[in-house]
Amino acid sequence: METLGAIVGITIKSLIFIVGMFLAAAYLTLVERKFAGHVQQRPGPLHVGPHGFLQPIADALKVLTKEDLVPDSADKFLFYLASLLAFVPAIMILAVVPFGEPFEIFGFTIYPYISDVNVGLLLALAFGSISLYGVIFAGWASNSKYPMIGGLRKAAVLIGYEVALGFAIAGPIMQAGTFSLKGIVDAQEGLWFIIPNILAFVVMIFAVLAETGRTPFDVQEAEAELVGGYVTEYSAMKFGLFPLAEWYIATFVLSAITVILFFGGWHPFPFMDGLPISSFVWFMIKLFMVFMFFLWVHWTLPRYRVDQITELAWKVMLPLALANIFIVAIWIMIFG
Amino acid sequence: MELTSLSFWIFSTLAVLSAIGVVFLKNIVYAVLSLISTLIMVSGLFFTMGAELIGALQIIIYAVAIVVFYVLVISTVPEFKGETIDPNYMFVSLPVGFLIFIELAYVSLYGAWKSNVGMFTSEVIKEMGNVKAVASVLFTKYLFPFEVASIILLVAMIGAIIIGKKDHVIEEEASNGSL
Repeated sequence: METLGAIVGITIKSLIFIVGMFLAAAYLTLVERKFAGHVQQRPGPLHVGPHGFLQPIADALKVLTKEDLVPDSADKFLFYLASLLAFVPAIMILAVVPFGEPFEIFGFTIYPYISDVNVGLLLALAFGSISLYGVIFAGWASNSKYPMIGGLRKAAVLIGYEVALGFAIAGPIMQAGTFSLKGIVDAQEGLWFIIPNILAFVVMIFAVLAETGRTPFDVQEAEAELVGGYVTEYSAMKFGLFPLAEWYIATFVLSAITVILFFGGWHPFPFMDGLPISSFVWFMIKLFMVFMFFLWVHWTLPRYRVDQITELAWKVMLPLALANIFIVAIWIMIFG
Repeated sequence: MELTSLSFWIFSTLAVLSAIGVVFLKNIVYAVLSLISTLIMVSGLFFTMGAELIGALQIIIYAVAIVVFYVLVISTVPEFKGETIDPNYMFVSLPVGFLIFIELAYVSLYGAWKSNVGMFTSEVIKEMGNVKAVASVLFTKYLFPFEVASIILLVAMIGAIIIGKKDHVIEEEASNGSL
């Protein structure tokens, strides 16, 4: 009976997170389109509902009711599986990301995270990199030239930046002395880890942009060269899942991890300790500032070439991450 | 049934099924997909046994970093693209596979026999966490083998780069006057 209760409890909590993430992702599309509009001095979506507020619902209905085409020569099973393989790992990262400290409402203690495993950061990295298979298999299963090139480009980009990212997160881990995301936030009580880890933060920004395929690194779908990259042959909701997973859910969750690693998680801004704002709200404020930064980069910069991206990963980002480990080690020796 | 034993049976069943798939699927891309599934299920097994560090590293290193290269090679080399391969090598692979199986069986039986004689009982590990337990032994008692292993890997990497480099071939061709 206890087992059943535990399973039901975890299932309900996971469902709340998943459904919440879905709705949030739908409205993140509106945030992105409005923001892009303002960056490029145009109004963005304006006509569906007050000031375009119902646009995501209209988009969802459109994508869900479109005809679902599968190319004749595609590998059907892998073709379907690839869209799920891209989507599910992105949402699985939510299992280890804490969104704030436990708080009490009407006598119930609510934990705003699903689990606090002590290798949380490694798991987030692992789940994040599994979604790579979605892109590669989408490219292969489509049995078509452009998706194939897109998938391989994504693999080349990801291999480079996963390595740099792995070394970049070593700095905060060294300072906190734990892999648990909650433990890392607790260790930033006094000083945020951005202070000695500034190089790692730079690497993290590049790695997140590369992993989520946002603009300076969006060679995998480069619409000017590859039609639509690995999503060329997809239609309807299967098409919708890819950008939903990469551009919104993955960016959102990786922004959360950036905030946790470098910006003190749910600790308030400096000199604002006294304000009556809950930890959850502080976390969301920081999260959206980082998320908006990624949007800002996306809608401002042009695209790198593929060779420039991999060169940047191996010749600039990896040495920077290693230098960061060296600096943090000296910092720990001096300040303890 | 307890939650851990329930998840143990689920993970192990799926791991064995997908391992069978790796051997018997004709399409090589599906075989690799099965391999990924096996590795992830084995990582799930590690989690049910409380070895979270190995479970997470299993996903990062085996299920992603290594198998990605399999997938890249398979999907870029056109001869292998979804075609079956004649089982000519079975006479070599069967005895070698059997030897590896015997070795693994011996090691796991020996491990089960010798379990819990060291200082790391499950209480100690629960107290200090997986990562610290591994690090405290790896970087003190086994530091020398660890460094030797890293040098061997470095040498192997340099060797691979030199073998993979094609410049000298082109230079030789140029000096032979074949151009």
